[in-house]
Amino acid sequence: MDITILGSQIIGIIPLGDIVFYFTQFNLFMFATALAFTAIVAISKTETQVEAEFGKLGDRAVTVAKKEFKIRRFLAIICGLATAGAMITGDLFDFTLFVCLTGIVNIGIVGAVRQVDVLDAAYQYGLIAMMASLPLFGGAALILAATGTLSLLEINSLTYTTPMMILGSILLFLGVAGETGVAPFFATKAEMFRTPGSPFLLIIHLSSLLILVRLIEILLMINKPF
Amino acid sequence: MKSIGRLWNSLANPEKIPRLFALILGIVLIAGLFIPLALDNQQLYPRPAPQEQINAQDPLAPYDRGGIPFEERGIVKAQYPQYAPAIGEITAYLSPIAISVKNTTLYYGTSIYSSPGGLIDEILYYTRGFDTVLESSILMMAFVIASWIALNFTMRRDDE
Repeated sequence: MDITILGSQIIGIIPLGDIVFYFTQFNLFMFATALAFTAIVAISKTETQVEAEFGKLGDRAVTVAKKEFKIRRFLAIICGLATAGAMITGDLFDFTLFVCLTGIVNIGIVGAVRQVDVLDAAYQYGLIAMMASLPLFGGAALILAATGTLSLLEINSLTYTTPMMILGSILLFLGVAGETGVAPFFATKAEMFRTPGSPFLLIIHLSSLLILVRLIEILLMINKPF
Repeated sequence: MKSIGRLWNSLANPEKIPRLFALILGIVLIAGLFIPLALDNQQLYPRPAPQEQINAQDPLAPYDRGGIPFEERGIVKAQYPQYAPAIGEITAYLSPIAISVKNTTLYYGTSIYSSPGGLIDEILYYTRGFDTVLESSILMMAFVIASWIALNFTMRRDDE
């Protein structure tokens, strides 16, 4: 392997037909981070909050029943796996599918909290995620039409950038921003990180951060500003 | 300065964000109308000329890729042919029901039941197999979330 992507050498690939997963030092690190965090999420228990009682000296522990956090933990694990997949995939359409899976699972994590405020925020977030699937897949389709390939390794070796590829990149950016980029905003606005049993919901933050970093790598690959 | 602060405060309202997003998306899409279309002629997945197969009275039009299963390869191009050694072998496979339908009508290819059960789309299922796995997982997650919400916020709401 003597292909170089953004200055880092490819360590190895996993070929699944046309969809090739590739490893460089950069995305291997992000892949390992996502997997490690997912493993921590899978084995961790929920936080128990202690609230001081008004007018007395007693404390009150707020716990979450296992029945309720099970679905959130399940969705958090799927979210982590989808994020890890998006880190190493070498195919643009595959990347958008991973992002879409992360987005829909994020809606589930936000929506699985049994509080009205959180559900209101989840509804608004669902509206954005629905709108964002148009630019997400539309951007990938425009890049396919402009370059004739979906493989990032092939796009990386192209020497030209057409205006249509830049438009596709902008649409792709808007799509990823809508699918996962705004998820921390809704989770924070709904005060989800202060609801009992919440800590493993931090996977929303981690996934949106890692996917945005990876998206910037992909946009640099497509547009080659250097 | 005061008005900027008010603007940020209004943006902190979750109800405003979908509208802002829709506005930006609309602006970008309208700007996209003025971008010159520069299509790549060396498309990875080639298609026959429009209406060519239909004019030739081919019942599989527009999906006919030729070939005989396990004998003669159909026309399927892959990005990495070295990772797809058996490509094109089963492109022309038709189930017995599909063959009988094909013999009765000229419009089998455009019928809703022609793909993927009868006529195997090998691009999708062989060269891009992982995408189909992901697509079904997205659908499955959507159903999991929808059914969980339906169960817990409607049917079992009285339990608390």
